[in-house]
Amino acid sequence: MTSRQLLIRDLLVLFGLAGWALALPAYGSEFVASLALTCLMYVALSSSWALFCGTSRYLSLATSAFFGIGAYTGALVLDRIAWLPAIALGAAIAVAVAVVMGAAVLHLRGTYFAVLTFGMTELIRHAITYWEKSVTGTVGRVLSVVPERQTVYLTVLGIAVLAVATSIVVRRTRFGLALAGIGADEQRAQTLGVDTRWVKTAGFALTAAFAGAVGAAMSVRWTYIDPHTVFNPFIGFQTVLIALISGALTLWGPLIAAIVFSLLAETLRLQAPQVYLMALGLLLILSVLYLPGGLASIRTDTATGWWRDLRALYSEKRYAWSGGKARDKRREKERRLA
Amino acid sequence: MSFGAWTELIASGLITGGIYALVALGLNLQYGLMRILNIAHGEFLMVGAYLTWMVQTSFGLHPLVMVPVSFVLLAALGLAIHWLCFRRLTATSPNLDVFEARGLMVAFGLMFLVQNAVSWLWGGDLRGYDFLTDPVKFGGAQFAGNKLLVFALALLFAGALIVLLRLTLYGKGVRALMQSPVGAQLVGIDTKRLHPAMFGLGLGLSGVAGCLLSMAYTISPAMGEPYTVTALIVITLGGFGSMGGALAGGLLLGVVEAIGMHYTNPSLKALLSYAVFIGVLLLRPKGLFSK
Repeated sequence: MTSRQLLIRDLLVLFGLAGWALALPAYGSEFVASLALTCLMYVALSSSWALFCGTSRYLSLATSAFFGIGAYTGALVLDRIAWLPAIALGAAIAVAVAVVMGAAVLHLRGTYFAVLTFGMTELIRHAITYWEKSVTGTVGRVLSVVPERQTVYLTVLGIAVLAVATSIVVRRTRFGLALAGIGADEQRAQTLGVDTRWVKTAGFALTAAFAGAVGAAMSVRWTYIDPHTVFNPFIGFQTVLIALISGALTLWGPLIAAIVFSLLAETLRLQAPQVYLMALGLLLILSVLYLPGGLASIRTDTATGWWRDLRALYSEKRYAWSGGKARDKRREKERRLA
Repeated sequence: MSFGAWTELIASGLITGGIYALVALGLNLQYGLMRILNIAHGEFLMVGAYLTWMVQTSFGLHPLVMVPVSFVLLAALGLAIHWLCFRRLTATSPNLDVFEARGLMVAFGLMFLVQNAVSWLWGGDLRGYDFLTDPVKFGGAQFAGNKLLVFALALLFAGALIVLLRLTLYGKGVRALMQSPVGAQLVGIDTKRLHPAMFGLGLGLSGVAGCLLSMAYTISPAMGEPYTVTALIVITLGGFGSMGGALAGGLLLGVVEAIGMHYTNPSLKALLSYAVFIGVLLLRPKGLFSK
């Protein structure tokens, strides 16, 4: 397929999926609609995460910070301004925080970057908890002005579609190529004339904008928010897990994995939350060890490759267990002595 | 403030600092030697604490007996984890950067796995037992007996590790690997034996720390994560890979926290340590004591 055909295919798939999601609340039960809402939230979060962090290999754990900032902004301003401006404001404040944070940490790579973004998220969470406790004198906030359920669903759907569409489009622009170049070799990208500082900051801000908007839209769903729920590091972890397990470099991987995971989470978490989290941990370890490219990198020969590895391991072990190795060692020794 | 109150404040800081140092030494061994940023380190501390609590309450065994036992059990667990996960990761990663990122992800998986396994097995309640709760008097200051014991043992283990690394041939090998992995391998240091051993030793130390903690504090499945974060802060304070730096950094952080909390407000504790962490990472990423 040519690049143009690919673009058309991707856009058509997105169009079809969006239409299906649009129709879902009309015929599904209320439970199904709320399930779909969670799916859409993670689709938006993990697609936008993969857009920057997947391609440039900057492992950011700050998603929950942007999500929480968006949620708090939404909660604070919703009784004063309209719905859509409130969401835009949430995204804008998240972008502002991302630009400041990015200026401080985006020159660090690898583990330093991951740990620092995690630390900053926790710092923001504790700062807001402290501020709420000592200045406003509350632990959480009750949202009194709440829009209709339908509006929330449509908004989150819109954000998710926008996130996927942005990653379709960004891949074929100079900006997307620059991000991929940074991921492959940052110094070489710099030598070839990419303004890496600007590109990284813009990419980080783009991720933050989506996370902030999703946060602002989702805050009304809970009707009561406190720092512990909206800055929950688990939101960030799950986003990263979804993107990594599915393959952060692919377009549709995060989307499919987000749907699978949120369905799993919603069904298993109610019955056996610990088992769900244990399974998540195990899955993460297994996918990093055996599928470093993610679920989307599975091809027909992946299983064949595992089978070949297993057979090689088995024949090697059989040789050792049947005394072959010991015999070789003995003969080597005898030859040396002779 | 009277002299006695000052001593109590500083001593309480030093006591928590001793535990911080012990946890941080294990993490530092793993990160400095193998570049495994084991974010699940604190969870193994929690496992050590739960083991001690379980044995103490159901069999009535003396907690001090559990110190070597939990060291051995956790070290064996560490060997198993290294054999199952990190051996393959080292073999398949194309370079050190990729290994670090993947190792971090595996450690996140371990964190989810261990923390939830414990809360599934033993439930999420706070647990604890009484051990040596009589106060001990020194001059004008009063200390809880168990906390003093915890401090002494933590210092003992931390000191023993540092002395071992200084004096024995194995320790020399470890320090050589930290300085230059390629050079050390060229002169015949066997990474295939040293890496699992040091990973196990690190987990064993966190098991000891957990065992000691359970003597003086209540325990819960979520207790591990703050200690992981603190250990990260301590090794950034002391410099990655520096053992003496980790010990000094741990004690320092304990005292800073105690004094800071006394003058401001206990709910600022987490805020304070994260601020110190980010400040040090941004301003002096090589550690406070580096030249």
